[in-house]
Amino acid sequence: MSPQPGEIALRAIELRKDYPMNGETVHALRGVSLEVRRGEYVAIVGPSGSGKSTLLQLLGGLDEPSAGSVLVDGVALAGLDDRTLTRLRLTRLGFVFQRFHLLPVLTAIENVELPLSEAGVSRAERRARALELLGYVGLAERAAHRATQLSGGEMQRVAIARALANRPAVILADEPTGELDAATGRSMLELFRRLNQDGTTLVVITHDEHLAAEAGRVVHMLDGRIAVGRQG
Amino acid sequence: MTWWRNLLRHPLRSALAVAGITVTTAMLLDMVLLGGGLERSFERLLLGRGYQIRVSPSGTLPFDTETTIPGAAALRLGLEADPEVTGVAPVLGASVFARAGDTLVAVFAYGIDPEVQAIYQPLSGSDLAAGDSLGVLLSAPAAARLGMAPGDTLVLVGRLDPQLATAAIERRLVVRGVARLLYDSRGQLSLVALLPVVQSLAGLREEDRVSAFVVRARSDDQADAVTARLRSAHPGIEVNSVTDMVRHFRERLVYFRQLSYILGSISLVVTVLLVTTLMTITVNERLGEIATLRAIGVSRATVVRSVMLEGATLTVVGGGLGIVLGLATARYLDAILTTFPGLPAAISFFVPEPDRLLLAGVVLFLAGVGAGVYPAIIAARAPIADTLRAEAT
Repeated sequence: MSPQPGEIALRAIELRKDYPMNGETVHALRGVSLEVRRGEYVAIVGPSGSGKSTLLQLLGGLDEPSAGSVLVDGVALAGLDDRTLTRLRLTRLGFVFQRFHLLPVLTAIENVELPLSEAGVSRAERRARALELLGYVGLAERAAHRATQLSGGEMQRVAIARALANRPAVILADEPTGELDAATGRSMLELFRRLNQDGTTLVVITHDEHLAAEAGRVVHMLDGRIAVGRQG
Repeated sequence: MTWWRNLLRHPLRSALAVAGITVTTAMLLDMVLLGGGLERSFERLLLGRGYQIRVSPSGTLPFDTETTIPGAAALRLGLEADPEVTGVAPVLGASVFARAGDTLVAVFAYGIDPEVQAIYQPLSGSDLAAGDSLGVLLSAPAAARLGMAPGDTLVLVGRLDPQLATAAIERRLVVRGVARLLYDSRGQLSLVALLPVVQSLAGLREEDRVSAFVVRARSDDQADAVTARLRSAHPGIEVNSVTDMVRHFRERLVYFRQLSYILGSISLVVTVLLVTTLMTITVNERLGEIATLRAIGVSRATVVRSVMLEGATLTVVGGGLGIVLGLATARYLDAILTTFPGLPAAISFFVPEPDRLLLAGVVLFLAGVGAGVYPAIIAARAPIADTLRAEAT
């Protein structure tokens, strides 16, 4: 049975994360609980050092919490072996990074094909899907360009297409407009809005007030805790 | 696909690595060829005419010394009495002189029985016939040095009388042809005549002396058994199969072989270090990319495979070029080494045999794959969150 809108796509329960630093323990997260429903657009905002990125990394299974648990589509990440966790990231989660992190040696379309290839999708099918996604983000005509030949905004669009490749349950974006100029950032807002309107669940960390304003819900973090949440 | 493009990302670095691997591979290959080449070449030379057994004076190997065996005819009959022996070829080697105008030229003479000879291949003119006591064959260098061709008459001078400085014996022979002497060194002046002729020139006719017998057994499998029987039946002489002689030869060359293996191992280690260093640098430079790949769901196995493929590709490309370079340098070095005085020209120090080339290729490929293990482990173990955090800052 396919997931329905309104179901919980992502759940964090009492997440804590402690780091040892210079002989002392830094409490990056101090008990964060969060639920993201399917189709929701959640922005997480807060000052630097408030634990936003750490939260996103734990939600994405990129790091292990010191305490608490994360469930993606009802699957608890704790205790999953590396292979299963990697597979879950590949198929259920999409990542968009501030610095795009495309592979410079690949073309735009090859970057989008990468997760499809890893998922075992046939060559013809992944090429068609990658082209469709590049068309969706408005870059079909740049498909054959190397990542290094694209502008910042174009690279971020390719990264979004890559994140959408395996039809993930949730897209996790870490400062997606952080490296873009104002005009390009605005076009990114529109793309995120369209993504959400088309049913994509979004969790976005941002300092960008405009981007946060687009979200259906804004979660404010401060000192490793959720300070306040607002329904958009 | 990405592994190949990653290699092209720093073309100069990759090219230098390939160049380094090419040189070390060439050295490795040459050492592998050198390690067993001389021995194989020696064995091939000894078995070249199908005679698997050598009989020489007691305590010597054929032509190791100037010692000879008396009573050749009787001993030959004794050797032929073994039912598994199908041929016994007597050989006498002696120094004689050939007249070239007013001068005497030292020539090495082989006395043989043309019906069972095992030391030459005719090149031009005609072969010696049985009983042709007036004929002689010359090696190509001797024919050139003496200015002789088939049909010319050659005057040979045997032992010189040290007190009178005159020839003890002189023979006029007709050059029948030119032959390639299998055991001659490069440029050696030599000739072949019937055994009694050379015995007369050397003053060994009366005692019917020969330097050695070359014996053929019915089959290679029987050679060792025949050798044992002949050894037992003729305790006063040295009987060795080619296998025995190769073993003696191998024992003499043991340090030489060890040295080549040590140098080969060093070049292999250098190859591994080169690939490991390059791949480690490359992986450390790309840790951010690798962490991104892991974050978006690329498995550790894929990352490891990619890194190891890069290492293996460098090794295969460098190794392939190294094999070509190694064969070329082996040929060049062989041309130098085989000019050593007294060494048969047919001997090679470097023998490029398919199994040796395959061995070098397999060892090299495994080394290349092995060299990628450490950087692949670094790539696979890169902590995703910490690496991405470090990249962001």
